[in-house]
Amino acid sequence: MLQAKKLTKRFQDRAVVDNLDLSVEPGEIFALLGPNGAGKTTTISLFLGFLAPDSGDALVGGTSVASDPVAARRQLAYIPEMVSLYPRFSGVENLDYFSRLGGRPHTRAELLALLERAGLARDAAERRVGTYSKGMRQKVGIALALATEAKGLLLDEPTSGLDPAASHEFSRMLRRLAKDGVAILMATHDLFRAREDASRIGILLNGRLATQLTRDEIKNKDLEKLYLERLRA
Amino acid sequence: MIFTIARKEFVDAWRDGRFRVGAVLVLVLLAVSGLLARQQVERARAEREAATALERRNWLEQGDKNSHSAGHYGLNVFKPTSPLALFDRGIEPFVGTTVFLEAHRQNQTAFLPAQDATSMRRFGELSAAVALQMLMPLLVVLLAFGALAGERERGTLRQVLSTGLSPRSLVFGKTLGIALTIAILLLPAGALLGGLLLQVPSADAPGLWARAGWLAACYATYLAIFVAGSVAVSASTRSARTALTILLSVWAVNCIVAPRLASDVVHHFLPTPKLAEFEAKLAQDVQKGLDGHDSRSKSLEDFTRRTLQEHGKSRVEELPFNFQGLVMLESERLAAQVFDHHFGRLWDRLQAQDGAVAWAGLAAPLLALRSASMAFAGTDFEHHRHFARAAENHRRDFVRVLNEDLMNNARPGDHNYVAGRALWEKLPEFRLEPIPPAGAWRAARTEVLVLGAWLLASLGFLAFSAGRIRVGGE
Repeated sequence: MLQAKKLTKRFQDRAVVDNLDLSVEPGEIFALLGPNGAGKTTTISLFLGFLAPDSGDALVGGTSVASDPVAARRQLAYIPEMVSLYPRFSGVENLDYFSRLGGRPHTRAELLALLERAGLARDAAERRVGTYSKGMRQKVGIALALATEAKGLLLDEPTSGLDPAASHEFSRMLRRLAKDGVAILMATHDLFRAREDASRIGILLNGRLATQLTRDEIKNKDLEKLYLERLRA
Repeated sequence: MIFTIARKEFVDAWRDGRFRVGAVLVLVLLAVSGLLARQQVERARAEREAATALERRNWLEQGDKNSHSAGHYGLNVFKPTSPLALFDRGIEPFVGTTVFLEAHRQNQTAFLPAQDATSMRRFGELSAAVALQMLMPLLVVLLAFGALAGERERGTLRQVLSTGLSPRSLVFGKTLGIALTIAILLLPAGALLGGLLLQVPSADAPGLWARAGWLAACYATYLAIFVAGSVAVSASTRSARTALTILLSVWAVNCIVAPRLASDVVHHFLPTPKLAEFEAKLAQDVQKGLDGHDSRSKSLEDFTRRTLQEHGKSRVEELPFNFQGLVMLESERLAAQVFDHHFGRLWDRLQAQDGAVAWAGLAAPLLALRSASMAFAGTDFEHHRHFARAAENHRRDFVRVLNEDLMNNARPGDHNYVAGRALWEKLPEFRLEPIPPAGAWRAARTEVLVLGAWLLASLGFLAFSAGRIRVGGE
C-alpha cells in the first residue's frame, strides 16, 4: 500500500532521505525509528507529496505521489505530532469539515459516533477545540482516519507528549485500524510504543534504512540496546 | 468543495471577536457617514430651492429699467446636488455652488462649502465612499492576511492538504469565503444607503439607479482586488506576520501615499494658472483680443463700418434699429470667443489632470476607484464642467434676449428706453439637464478599465500563488 522506491531527497546537497526502499502492506504497522534529523518527517512529507523527491518515487496504493499527489493523498490520513484543528470549531465541526474536504461527508450522528469510537465523548465532541488537550486532538485525528476510510495512515510522532493512559488508548486505536486493513507508517521516538504496536520496525540513520526488524525479531531483542548500538555505529 | 471551504471561512470569521468588532466599527462609520451626508444633501437642496425662488422673485421684481442695465443687474444660478452625493461628495465641497450671471463677464463658481466648514462638518466629510475606499480594504487585509500563512504556521495547512484537497481549491475557496464575508457585512450598509437614496426627493431622476449599480460594481471590483491580492500574498509568504506587514504597506501606499503623490506629480507636470493670473489674462484678452493686436475698440469700429456699409447708411442713427443693442450683441460675441478660449483651456487642463490621475490608478487602484466613484455619483469635475457650461450658455441666452430687446424695441439713439416685467418673465428659469448614465460611463471608462486590469492581475497573482503553495515545516 505504501512503497518507497530508491526515494531520495536532498537539502542543499545533503541527502536527508537517501535511496530509501520500504513498503508497508495493508494491516501492517511500520514504525520508523531514528534520531532527530534522520529523515523521518521528510519521509512522511514525501509520502504526502508536500516535498518533491530528487530521485526515486513514493507510491500510495500504486499511485505515484510525485505525479499525482492529490490522488495519493485521497487514500491517506495523516496524524502529526499535534493534530492541528480550527480552535473556533467544535471537534465534530472540525471532523465534518475535514471529512468533506476528503470527499467523505457524513451525517452529524455518524460523525459523533466516529468520534466516540475514537474515544472522544459526545460532550467533548461538541466543545470548541480551543479547549482540547493534545490527547483529545489526536482522537479527532483518529476519527478523521476512520471518517475518510483511509487505506494508509501516516503518523509523525503521534504519541509524543501524551500521558501513558492517552498513549495506551491511542495505540489501541492504531491496532484496531491495522486490523481493519489500514497500512500504517509511524515515525516515532517512542521505543516502547514501537515495540508494543509495530509489525515491523525500521531504524533510519542519515536518510538510510539501517535496520529492519520483523515482529518476531522485535520480541526477541532488546530494542533499546539495538537502537543505541545502531546510533553509535 | 470550494463552497465547503468558503462556508467554513465565513463561519470562522464571524466567530472571531476581533473581526466582529472591526465589522461593527466599519458599519457604524458607514451608517453615520451616510446619515450625515443625507442631512447635508437635504440641507443643500433646501437652500438651493429657497435661493432659486428668491433669485427669481428679485429678478421679476427688479422694476423697470434699460434692458442692458438688467444685464448688469444680473442673477445667480445654483448648482443642483446629485442625489448620489449622499454616498460620495466628490469635489463638491471644494468647488463653488453658485454662478453670478451678468453681461460681459463669465464668472466662475463661488461659495465653496469647504470654506464654511466647521469641525463637525469636517467629520461629515468622512463619506460612505471614503469609508469603503480606505477602511474596507483594511478590514479585508485583517481578514485575509492569515488565510494561508496563518494556516501554515498553525499546521492546519498540512492537515487540510493531507485530505487530498487540491491547493487551488483551497485558495479559491478561501478567497470566495472572504469575499462572501465582506459582501454579507456590507449588505446592511448597502440597504441603509439605498433606503436613504429612496428618501431623496429626486430619487426618481432618470438613470439614478443605473449609476448606483455602476457604483456598486466599481466598489465590488475594488474590494475583490484586495481580497484576491491579500489571499495571494498570504499564500506566498512564509509567515502571517510577513503577510500582514506586506499588506499593510500596500494599504498605506494605496490609501495614503498614492493619492497625495499623484496629485503633486500631476500638478507639477500639468500645472494650472493661479486665479489672479487667469483673471488678469482674461481681462486683457477681452480688451485686446486673443491675438493681442485687434483691440476691442478697433474691432467694434470695424463692425460699425461694416454694418453701415451693409445698410448703405453713413450714421448709426440712420439704421432701422437701435445700434447700441447690436453693438452689445457683437461685444458679447467677441468676449465669448475669449471666454471659450481661456475657460476651455483651463477646463481641458483640469480634465487632463483627471485623466492622468485615472491612469495613475495603474499604480494604486484607489486612484481609479475614486475617480470612477465621483463620476458615477455625479460629483466629479466632468459634472461640474457640465454645470458651468450650462450656466454660461444660460448667461449668453439671457444677455442676448436683453440686447435683442434693446436693439429691436428702443428707438435709434434713445438712451431712455426701459423694459419691464413682461421682458423679465420671458427669460426662462435656469434648468440643468442631468448627464445621462452613458455620459457618466464615458467619463469613467478609463477608470473602469484600470479597475478591470487590476482585477485580472490580482486573480492572475492568486492563481499563480495557488499553484506554488508550500505547506512549510518540511
